Amino acid sequence: MKKILWLSILFLLILGGTSVAQESIIETIQKQGVIRVGMSTFVPWAMKDKKGNLVGFEIDVARKLADDMGVKIEFVPTAWSGIIPALLTGKFDVIIGGMGITPKRNLKVNFTIPYDYSGMSMVAHKVRAKGFTSLDDFNKKDVSVAARMGTTAEQAARKYMPNATLKLFENEGQALQELNLGRVHAVVSSAPMPIFHALKYPDKLFVPLKENFTREPIGFAIRKGDHDALNYLNNWVLNMHAQGFLKEKKAYWFESRKWEDLVK
Amino acid sequence: MLNKKSLKFTIIDMAVIIFVITAIGLFFSRMSTTLDYKWEWGAIPSYFFFWDAVTGELKANILILGFVTTVKLSFWATLIGFLLGTLSGIMGAKGSFEQRFVSRIYVETIRNIPSLVLVIIFYYFVSSQFLDALYLDQWLRSSSQTVQQIIGLLFSSPDQINAFLSAIIALGIYEGAYVSEIVRGGIISIPDGQWEASLSIGLSRQKTFLLVILPQTLRKVAFPLAGQFISTIKDSAIVSVISIQELTFQGMELMAATFLTFEIWITITFLYFILTFSLSQSVAFFEKKYALK
Repeated sequence: MKKILWLSILFLLILGGTSVAQESIIETIQKQGVIRVGMSTFVPWAMKDKKGNLVGFEIDVARKLADDMGVKIEFVPTAWSGIIPALLTGKFDVIIGGMGITPKRNLKVNFTIPYDYSGMSMVAHKVRAKGFTSLDDFNKKDVSVAARMGTTAEQAARKYMPNATLKLFENEGQALQELNLGRVHAVVSSAPMPIFHALKYPDKLFVPLKENFTREPIGFAIRKGDHDALNYLNNWVLNMHAQGFLKEKKAYWFESRKWEDLVK
Repeated sequence: MLNKKSLKFTIIDMAVIIFVITAIGLFFSRMSTTLDYKWEWGAIPSYFFFWDAVTGELKANILILGFVTTVKLSFWATLIGFLLGTLSGIMGAKGSFEQRFVSRIYVETIRNIPSLVLVIIFYYFVSSQFLDALYLDQWLRSSSQTVQQIIGLLFSSPDQINAFLSAIIALGIYEGAYVSEIVRGGIISIPDGQWEASLSIGLSRQKTFLLVILPQTLRKVAFPLAGQFISTIKDSAIVSVISIQELTFQGMELMAATFLTFEIWITITFLYFILTFSLSQSVAFFEKKYALK
């Protein structure tokens, strides 16, 4: 229902045409001295710490970008299912939110070259999904799988487990709650969150698949037709790869768990 | 009062109490056995306030900030709803045919679409055409620190100002439709004799309305209006879909970050309850005190 609503908004937007300035966002950002970044909470990409400040991999990347442009940064936390319409209507300049580059999304927005790769992983209920070790085990009629609405996790679940019943939620917490209650067999989400969650409830949950079952490129999303911005951001990403900045941040947020004290 | 409430404790009262206690007990026992939920209340207080180690000050955290935003949101939405609703209500009750027509269209349109749809339409279409074109956020960013603080205190910070304004306008329009019906009903309920009497002592129609009808109406509609305003607070949760950082949105962000789903929902419910319950109790108190006898 909600999805239909967002889709119709998108449709109306395209139909009506939006009054987004022709000038490149690079110029407007410089002129206003501030870059507005759309994001949504995804552990550990972006989340609020104990003091109410935003922290996470994406947050570090976005702050560095603002730093390099010499401007201030404003984060616009947005519900994930409505983040593309919000970008198209100019609520912010760029999405830096771990958005997977998919052909379908690419029809609506422009993506930069990938600054990161993520993959889908799963966490399953020990009792309900007993002995499940492959995607085929989950791809059955009586199996239900939960994912966050509008994410690539949803698409991956549809593609790799078409026979399973899919339950969609507005955010990850609700999906995991459903799993903890044993109402679904597994939750599909971007690594490393499922692994972290399984570690947190070792007596109840486990990780059924040894490796991620997809590999997806992650890019910044901007409104279409802004070649200057695309060029700038692409080269910024290339630079950050070369400097090792992205690798270092990735190691901190995805491979270590040092940040956990910040959050809880 | 003819039928005074009986204070006798009957068997039915007993049954009700036992039923409620069993229901609560059952809920918690199921919570601990079937759901097997790990309660972690320890972290919750720090989401209200925390000690900033750097400055050594006690600072408000996201739940309090969200609560304050909800209060601000409800206040402005109520104000807009009141002005709009009173105008439309007067037009609907005593206006010319055109005025009644406009008022009717407004009320019926708004009352027959879900508030969620109204808020979304307003944010994505109306606000991006009008509010964004005003460049209010840019003006605010370039204005002085004092101006920013005052606006921040009354409305919101520059990064949220457009979204905040479109939220209060959308909520105000939504509440206004209900206020309009309350006001219209109030005016109509004043007996015709009041009109006839004041016209016959030589007051003009306008003066009759302003000096005789309106004061009586206001007294009649004051408490239904207060009820409507309390429901504005609850309705304000809907603007979390356009990412206004009010209580529900902040709670959902917090849940996404900490996975403390039940603890946070319960806390949020409690916060809304304190706000609306204390308001409705004070309204009930004044209603008793100033009741029309």
